[in-house]
Amino acid sequence: MATLLTVDNVTQSFALPNGSNYIAIKDIDLEIKDGEFVSLIGHSGCGKSTLLNLMAGLAQASQGGILMNGRQITDPGPDRMVVFQNYSLLPWQSVRQNIALAVDAVMADASREERSAVVEANIKLVGLSSAADKRPAELSGGMKQRVAIARALAIRPKLLLLDEPFGALDALTRGNLQQQLMQICQEAGVTTVMVTHDVDEALLLSDRVVMLTNGPEAGIGQILKVPLARPRQRLEVMEHPDYYALRGELIGFLQQQRRLRQRRGEAKAPRLAGAGTGARPSKGPPVSAAPTTIRLGYLPGLDIAPLALALDRGFFREQNLNVVPIVFSRWQQLEEKLKAGELDGAITSATTPLALTLGLHGKPGWPAITPMTVTRNGNALCMARRFLDAGVRNGRELAALLQAQPAPLRLGIGQMGSMQELLLRHWLASSGLDPDRQVSWITLSPLAMQSALLNGELDGFIAGRYRVAQAVEAGLAYGLATDLDIWSGHPEKVLTCHEGWAESHQDHLLAFCAALMRAGQLCDDGGQREALVGLLSQPQWLGLASAVALQRQFDLGNGEPAGDRLPLNRYHSDRAHSANPAEGCWILSQFSRWGWSPFPSNRVELLSRVYRSDLCAAALERAGFPALPTDRKPFALADGLRFDQDDPLAYLKSLPFAGQPVVASLLLPDSASADRSLPSP
Amino acid sequence: MTTTLDPSRRSRRSRASWLRSPLARQIKAPVVCIGLTLALWQLLCLPNPDGFPGPIQVIQQTWTPYISQPFYDDGGTAKGLVLQILISLQRVAIGYSLAAVVGVAVGLVIGLNDFLRRGFDPLIQVLRTVPPLAWLPISLLLMQQADPAAIFVIFITAIWPIIINTAVGIREVPQDYINVARVLRLGKISYLRDILMPATAPYVFTGLRISVGLAWLAIVAAEMLKADGGIGFFIWDAYNAGGDTSTSQIILAIFYVGIVGLILDRLVGMVGDRVSGRRR
Repeated sequence: MATLLTVDNVTQSFALPNGSNYIAIKDIDLEIKDGEFVSLIGHSGCGKSTLLNLMAGLAQASQGGILMNGRQITDPGPDRMVVFQNYSLLPWQSVRQNIALAVDAVMADASREERSAVVEANIKLVGLSSAADKRPAELSGGMKQRVAIARALAIRPKLLLLDEPFGALDALTRGNLQQQLMQICQEAGVTTVMVTHDVDEALLLSDRVVMLTNGPEAGIGQILKVPLARPRQRLEVMEHPDYYALRGELIGFLQQQRRLRQRRGEAKAPRLAGAGTGARPSKGPPVSAAPTTIRLGYLPGLDIAPLALALDRGFFREQNLNVVPIVFSRWQQLEEKLKAGELDGAITSATTPLALTLGLHGKPGWPAITPMTVTRNGNALCMARRFLDAGVRNGRELAALLQAQPAPLRLGIGQMGSMQELLLRHWLASSGLDPDRQVSWITLSPLAMQSALLNGELDGFIAGRYRVAQAVEAGLAYGLATDLDIWSGHPEKVLTCHEGWAESHQDHLLAFCAALMRAGQLCDDGGQREALVGLLSQPQWLGLASAVALQRQFDLGNGEPAGDRLPLNRYHSDRAHSANPAEGCWILSQFSRWGWSPFPSNRVELLSRVYRSDLCAAALERAGFPALPTDRKPFALADGLRFDQDDPLAYLKSLPFAGQPVVASLLLPDSASADRSLPSP
Repeated sequence: MTTTLDPSRRSRRSRASWLRSPLARQIKAPVVCIGLTLALWQLLCLPNPDGFPGPIQVIQQTWTPYISQPFYDDGGTAKGLVLQILISLQRVAIGYSLAAVVGVAVGLVIGLNDFLRRGFDPLIQVLRTVPPLAWLPISLLLMQQADPAAIFVIFITAIWPIIINTAVGIREVPQDYINVARVLRLGKISYLRDILMPATAPYVFTGLRISVGLAWLAIVAAEMLKADGGIGFFIWDAYNAGGDTSTSQIILAIFYVGIVGLILDRLVGMVGDRVSGRRR
C-alpha cells in the first residue's frame, strides 16, 4: 500500500514564559499507509495531541515536516478532518446545520440537492435521523460524538484524525461507538490516526499502535502491529489467542514509562533539595577553580584514539576536566574496578552496559548507562595459517572442514559476552557452525592473543584489525573475516558509567562526552592520520609496533591482493556517536539467543535507562555537532535478516541456533541500592 | 397536600396552600418589604403635613392631571408624563442606536486587530469612566443645539461598553470553533455568519444592556440642564415652578423614570437572551 502520510523527523517545542523552550516531541519519524488505522498511545503529557495537531496542520513543527502524498502540510484543510476531543460542535446550530456547514464549505461546487443528500446520508450513517434538528445541548455525549464523526466523514477526508474520541463517554456507549467507527472507517476506507489512552480501544481499532515515551522530548518508544483479522468484533478480538500477549506488550510499555517517569522525578528531587538546604559545600557556579577529576579505564587498542587525541590536544582541560586515563590489560579487571567505584567511567565493549545492568553470567546487577558510542567497526577474525593451507577462505568452508574433522574450534576472545564475541558467534552461526557445541571459547587478554596462537593454544581469535594485521605480518595467521562481513557499522566501544554517577555528575559527563566527540571527528579526518598514528605509537596507547602496522598496506594474508592502508575505526561520521537503543535491542536478542539471559519483556524500560540518547543529544549540542535524529527503521546485518526493534522476537525466531526464546520480565538494579556508594561531589 | 384526612386542619392547610403557590411566593417578599418602606415613609411625613409629602399625598396631589391623564397636551412643554417620557425615549432611541451600530463596528475592528486593540485600549478605558454630564458642554459646543447635543451625550456615554464587550467577545471565541473553521477552510462570510457572530452575540448583548442603562441615565441628566420637553425637563421644570405640588410631581416623575429604566433594561436583556438563547 502506498504511503499517505510521512512524519519526517518532527520536533515541536513551545516557548515558555520564562524564555526557555519546552520540547514536547522530538525526532518523530512515522509513515502511515493508505487505509491504515494507527493509534497513538502514551501517558498524559507525552505529546500525542501535539503530534495530531501537527498532522492536522493546526500547528507547524519547529523542526522537520509532515508530508501528505508527498506534499508538505502547511495549513489545516478538509482532507485531514479532525474529530476534536470535546466534539467542537457549534452550539447555535442543529445537528443538520453543523454537518451542512462542513459539507457546504467543502463541496461548494456540488448542487444544493447533492449537498443536502450527503448531509442526510451521513446523519443516517451514524443513526441520528431522529435528532437531526436538535441542538448539541439537547444531545447526550455519545450522540454529540456521533455528530462530530458524521461531520468529519461527510466531507470524505483522506485522513481522519481523532483526538481521544471516546474519552468522555460511558463504557457502554464507548463500546457501541467503537464498533460503529470501525465499520464506518473500514467501509469508507479512510486512513485514521487516533489518540487514545485506552489499551483495549487501541487494540480493537488499530492496525498499528504507536507508543510514545514520556514527555518532555517524547519520542516513539515502540510500534506494535496488531495482526488481528478484519472485520473485527470486540468479543472475538478479546478471545483471540494473541490478544493478551499484545495487550501485555502495551500495558508493559506504559508501566515501564510510568516507572521511568517516577525514577526521573526521584532523581531530580534530591538534587533540588540539596541545593535548597545548602547541603553542597559550595554554592558557587559549577565552574570551580579546581578541575574535576574523571578516572577513566581503558584497554589499549585503536578504539581509544579519540581519548588519546582529546588528552593530547587538551580538549578536556578546556572543559576544566582532569581526565586520568587508567590502563588495564584484562577486561575483567576493568569491570571490577568500575564496579568498585575506583573508576568513574570506562571505554568498554558495546555490550558491557547491558551486561552489567542485567548482571550477566551470575553477577549481581549494576546499573550502568552509556551516553555515547566511542567507536564503530575495527574488528577482524584471524585463523592460524594451517586453515588457509586446508583451503578455508570463508565461513562455509570452515564449517565443512569441521564437519570432516569434528574437533572443537578453539577461538580466543578478549572478554566473555563482548561485542566481538557476539559478532563472531553470529558469523559462525550464519555459516552453519553451532557456536556452543563446535567451538570452545577461550578468554584472554587481547595483548596475549598473538602468542597464544603461536603456541598453538588457539586456532584463531577476534580482535582489532591492527592486531590481526600484526599476527598476519608475523606469518602466523590470516584474516578470515572482518566485521564488515558481519555487521558494518556495528557499535564497538561505548562509554560506560554508573547511572548514579551520571546523574550526580551530569554536567561533567556531558563536557567529557563533548570533548571525546570533538576528538572523534578529528580521528575520522584523513588528514590527521599521520599525527594520530604518531600519537598512538606512544607506549601508553598502542606502542610503536602496533602503530606502525597502521601505516602499512593492509593485508589479510589470504593471498588476495592487498588493499589500501588499514582502515581505521569509525569515530564520528555517519551517526557514529549515537547511543542507539535499537542496537541495544539487538544485543539483548543475542543475549537471549545464546541463553545468557531471558529476553526482557521490559526491554523498553531497560534500554531507555541504559541508552541515554538524551545525554548523547546534549553532548552533541555542547560539542557543536548537529543532533542525530533517532532512526527507528529496521536494519540488517551482513546476513540480510532484517532486525526490527519493535519485533525482536520475530528476528530471534528467524535466526539459526536460536531455539525458542524465553521472555521474562527482568529485575533491574536500582542506582540507590547498588553496591557502589555514590562519591560525594 | 390538601388530601389530609383531618378535617379540622383543612381550612388552615388550604389557606396556607395558596400562600405557597409559586406566584404568591414570588410576590410575597417584595410586597411586604415595599409596603413596609411606604408605611415608614408615610409615618415619617405625618408630623409635618405641609413639608415633604408622604406617598398618599403624592398620589392625591398628582392624580389630576399627571396620573389620570398621561396623554394630555396643552401645547408647548405642558404635556402628560407619558408624552414627556416618549420625547426622552425618542432621543435615547436615536443616540443609543447610533452607539450600537458604531460601537459594534468599532469593537469588531478592535477585536480582530491586535495592534488597534492594544493601541486604543488605554483611551477607551479612560473615556468610559467620564460621567455623562461632563460631556454636555463639549456636546453643546459641537452641536450648537439642545436636541442633537442631548443625543450626542447619549451616544458618547453608551458607546464604550458596547465597544469593549464586542472586542472581548471576538477575542473569546473558543479556539475549538476557530479550529473547526480552519480545518473546513470556511470562507470569510461564512466564518463571520456561522462562527464569529453567534459566538460573540452574548458578549455584545451584555454590552448593549449596560449601555441602555447608561443612556437612560444620561438623557435625564442632559434634559434637566438643557432641553425642551422630556422627562428630565419635566423634573427640572417642576422644581423651578416651586408650587405646592411640585415635590409630588418630582417624586412621581422619578418613579416613572425608574420604571422606564427597568423596562428598557429587561427589554434589551430579553432580546439578548433570545439571541444567545440559541446557544443553550
